[in-house]
Amino acid sequence: MIPRPTKLRAVPSILFVLAAGGWIGPALAAAPADAEIARHFQERREKLIQTAIAIFEPADATQGTFLDVAAALQRGENLAAAQARLNVLNEPRPTGNMFWMYPVMAVLLNGEAHLDAGNRARLAHWWRHYWPSRGDTENHWVMYYASLYLAAQHYAGTGPEHWFNGQSAAENLTEARGYLEHWMQVTTTVGQGEYDSPGYIGEYVVPLALLVGWAEDAALRQKARMMLDYIFFDYVVEQLNGQYAGAHSRVYPRQLLQPARVTASALGWLLFGLGDYQQNAQSLLLALSGYAPPPILERIARDTSARPYVNREFKRTRWRMRHAGADSMVVGDKRTLPVYKYSHVDRDFVLGSSQGGLLQPIQQQTWNLRWRVDEPLDASNTFFAVQPYSSPHEGTMYFGADWDTVTDLIARSKTDYDSPDKLASGSPHEQVFQHGPALIGLYDIPADTRFPHVTTLFSRDTEDLVEDESGWIFARGGPVYFAYRPLVPGEWKPNDWTGLLGGGAGGWISTGFLEWGSGHRCYVSTARHNGYVVQVAPARDFDSYAAFQAAVRALPLTFSTATVAEVTFTALDGSVLRARYGEVPSVNGEPLDYAGWPLFESPFGVADRGSRRLEIRHGAERYRLDFENNVIMQTFAQP
Amino acid sequence: MIPRLLAVLLATGALTACATEPARFYAAVAMTKAQQNSSVPTDSGIYYRADSGEWRHFGPRILGIGSIAAEPGNPEHLLIASADGVIRSTDGGRTWRKTTGWEVVDVRAIAFDPLNPRQAYAATQWGPLRSADAGATWQLAQQGLAKLYTQTVIADRAQSGRALIGAEDGIYVSTDAAHSWQRVDSSPETTILRLVQSGVEARLLLAGTQHRGAWLSRDGGATWAQTDPGSATANLYAAALNPHDSAVMAVGGWDTGVRISTDGGATWADRTAGLPVKHVFVLAFDPEVKGRLWASVFEEGSFYSDDLGLTWLDGGLHGAYGFDYVFVPPVRR
Repeated sequence: MIPRPTKLRAVPSILFVLAAGGWIGPALAAAPADAEIARHFQERREKLIQTAIAIFEPADATQGTFLDVAAALQRGENLAAAQARLNVLNEPRPTGNMFWMYPVMAVLLNGEAHLDAGNRARLAHWWRHYWPSRGDTENHWVMYYASLYLAAQHYAGTGPEHWFNGQSAAENLTEARGYLEHWMQVTTTVGQGEYDSPGYIGEYVVPLALLVGWAEDAALRQKARMMLDYIFFDYVVEQLNGQYAGAHSRVYPRQLLQPARVTASALGWLLFGLGDYQQNAQSLLLALSGYAPPPILERIARDTSARPYVNREFKRTRWRMRHAGADSMVVGDKRTLPVYKYSHVDRDFVLGSSQGGLLQPIQQQTWNLRWRVDEPLDASNTFFAVQPYSSPHEGTMYFGADWDTVTDLIARSKTDYDSPDKLASGSPHEQVFQHGPALIGLYDIPADTRFPHVTTLFSRDTEDLVEDESGWIFARGGPVYFAYRPLVPGEWKPNDWTGLLGGGAGGWISTGFLEWGSGHRCYVSTARHNGYVVQVAPARDFDSYAAFQAAVRALPLTFSTATVAEVTFTALDGSVLRARYGEVPSVNGEPLDYAGWPLFESPFGVADRGSRRLEIRHGAERYRLDFENNVIMQTFAQP
Repeated sequence: MIPRLLAVLLATGALTACATEPARFYAAVAMTKAQQNSSVPTDSGIYYRADSGEWRHFGPRILGIGSIAAEPGNPEHLLIASADGVIRSTDGGRTWRKTTGWEVVDVRAIAFDPLNPRQAYAATQWGPLRSADAGATWQLAQQGLAKLYTQTVIADRAQSGRALIGAEDGIYVSTDAAHSWQRVDSSPETTILRLVQSGVEARLLLAGTQHRGAWLSRDGGATWAQTDPGSATANLYAAALNPHDSAVMAVGGWDTGVRISTDGGATWADRTAGLPVKHVFVLAFDPEVKGRLWASVFEEGSFYSDDLGLTWLDGGLHGAYGFDYVFVPPVRR
C-alpha cells in the first residue's frame, strides 16, 4: 500500500459513458490493461520517490534538494536528515524567485507537520521578507502563480503584513487564480506559447502537478489535471521512444545534440515507461503529486500500428511587445504570431517542423529529424538545419531590455545566442514547408544580417554519408535513410567552430561539452538566396541503401536561387511540392490551408482552434477534455 | 492641503533654495556588470544617496525596477515602477504593497500629476495605466494608441489632467487624464525612450528617441522638431533639462556619451571625455546643486559634473545599469 501524501487531494472523477449513451461504472477503466498500466506507473513512481529519500545521510547536510526534502516529509522517512538539510537550503537567503517558490511549497504541502518550529517559522518568514520576482517567461508565470496560489491557501486568512507583496492571502489567492485561469483559457484556445519544449515541459508540469496534488478547490484541481493530460497528449503524439521530437519552441545546445537527456524523456519514462530512467526534479514532483496519466495516453505512446501518421498542431509565439508585424494576431490585448506545426510520425523516425520565421526568441528549433535508437540516453540521433540569427530587433520584440544592451544581456545566460555556430535559432529570413517525410527550407537573407549562412547539422551518429555527384548528400541514421540537397553548395565545419561552448563559456550550458558536443559536423552554406530539400525514408522500404539513393536521384527536382529561392520537387510518394520564398507553398497544386490549421489533428486526437475541447482517440476509446465545462468524458464504442 | 502652486514648486524642485533639508536622490538600477552565466542581475532596485555620498538600497528587491515617483507634497507616498507591477508605499518605504494585478507587467516609468496628486500615470511595455487614487488602484489607459508599447511618461505640470507618453510609434498626448490619447503628428515615428519637462519653463520639453536622436518642443508638446544634428540617428536614452536655466539641456545615449546645449538647443557639444565609456542611460540635473549634472554610464556607475561635462567625478553605484534618477524634495514644514 502506497502511503497517501499529506493533504493530497483526490483526483477528480471522470465520467465514463458508452457511445450509445448508456452509463457504465468506473469498473470498465479497471480492465486488465489499465490495471497493468497503473501498476507499472506506480512502480516507477516509487522508484523516483525512494531514490530521492535515499539521498539523505544523517551526518551529511550537503546533499538533497527541496524536492528531496518534500519526498522525505511525504513518506515520513529520513526526517532528521531532511530537516537538517532544509535548515541550510535557505541560507543565507532565498534565491531563484519562482524556482524557490515551487520547491518550498512542495516542502510545506508534503509535510509541514513534520517540520520543527524553527523551519516552519523560517519558511513563513521568507514568504514575508523575500520578494520573488514574477519573471518574464510564460513558464515563470505559471510556476509563480501556482506556487502563490498554494501559499495563499496554506497561509489562509493571513493579512498583508505576512506577505512579501503587501497583499493579503485572499488577495494573492484571487490574483493567482486569475492568471492561472487566463493561461489555461489561452492555451486551450490558441495553443501553448512555449510549445513542445523538451526541457521546459517540466516547468509546466511542476505547477500543474502542485495544483493537482494540493489545491483545495476541486474545480481548479480538475482544470490542472486536465491541463496535464493535455500537455502529455501533446507530447505522446510526437515522441519517439520517449524523446520529444518535432519542432520545439525552446531547446538548449546539449538537448539538441543529446536529445534524450532532457526532462521530456524523464517524464516519458515515469509516465509511460518509455526510454531510460532518469532521476529528475520535475518528474519527482509529479510523482509526489499523486497524478496518474489516463491509460489511453500510454496506449497511444506505445502504439506503433498507426504509424506513420501526420500530426498537425497550432501554437503561438511568445507575446510580442514591440515590432509585432503585420502578420501578427491579437489575443486579448497581446500580440503573437501563429505557429503551424507538422510532424510525420513513423515507427522508426519523426520528421517535424514549423513554418519557420521568428517564432520564439533565442532557442527555437524550426525542424528536426529524429530516428529510433535502442539506447537513447547518450544517442545523438538527430539531423536539422538552422539559420543563425540574432538581433536587437528580435530581442526587443520579446524582452523589455533596451536596443543596445538586449543582445549582450541575452547572451549572459544563453551564451551561444550571438554566435555564428549556434544550433538553435529562429530567423525572419526562413521559410519551411513539409509534406510527409519530405521537407523544403528556403531562405532570403539580407546582406547586412549578422550571420548570413545556413547551418545543417550532421550529428556524430550519422553514418555512411555520401556526397553524391548529383548534388544530394545521403546519410543513414539507425533504421532511417535521409537525403539532403543544398540549393547552394557549402563547406564542412566542425560544430562549435568558434570554440565558444567547447571552451567552457556559459557555465552550466557548456558543462560536459566534450561528452555531448564533440564529433558532430556542420554543412555551412553562404548565399543570400538559399535553401535545401530533405527526403527521409525508413530503411525497411528499400532493398538497400543504394536503392534509396537511386530512387532519390530519380526524383524530379528543379530549383532556382537567382532572384528568390524556389523549388519544385516530386517526393518519394509522388507528391509534387512547390515552394517559392514569401509565397504559400503547394502540394500537387493545392496551396497549404494555414487558415484552417487545427489546434490538434492526428489519428489520436482532434481539437479545433477556439473550441476548448480536445478529443483523444485510441481505437474505440475516446477521452474528451472539455475545458469549457471543466469535465473529462471517457467513452467506448459499442462492440 | 498644500496650496496647488506650492505643490507644483515642490514637485519640480523649484523651491530648493528655501529647503532646510536636501531632496532625496533616488536611482533605479540593475547591477548587471557582474551578471555572468545568468539571466538575473546580481542586485537590482532603488537606491538612494545618503548624505555621506554612499548609495543605500531602498524598498523591495525586485527585478526590473524602472523608476520611482513621490506624491507631490507627500514624499512618504511612493510608487515604484517594476517588472512585477506598481509597488506602493504610504509610509516612506517602511512597508510596500503591490497595487496592480497579474495583468500589469513591465512598468518602465511612473508619474504623479503635480496639480492633482491623486492622479498618476504609468508607462508599461504592454500599454499605459492611469490611477485616480494616487496609485492605490489602476486602470488600463490604451484608448487611442495605435501600438501599446510605452516607455516614458510625464504629467504636465502646467495643466492638470494633461499627460504625454512615449510610445513605439511616437509621442501621444492626453488631456483627459489618460482616458484617451492622440498622437502628436510632428513627433518622430519611432520608439520614444525618454521625455522630460523643464522645471522653469513648462512649455519646454525634450525627448530622446530610438534611431532618431533628440527632439524639442517649445509649446508644451503640441509640436516637435529635431535638435542636435550630431546625434540625429542615435539611440538617446537620456535627456535632462536644467531646473535653473531653461537654456541648458543634455542628452545621452549609446555610443553617444553626453551632449550638452547651453543655448536652448541651438548648438550642442560632446561632453563625454572623462567618462569611462560612451554609453549613457540616464541624465539628471541636481536641483540641490545648481549646474550639477548626473550621468549613469552603462555598468560603470554614476558620475557627476559641476562644469557641464567638462570634467566628471565618480558618483558611485559601480557596475550599475541605470534606468532613472529621481529627486524628491522634502516637505517644508
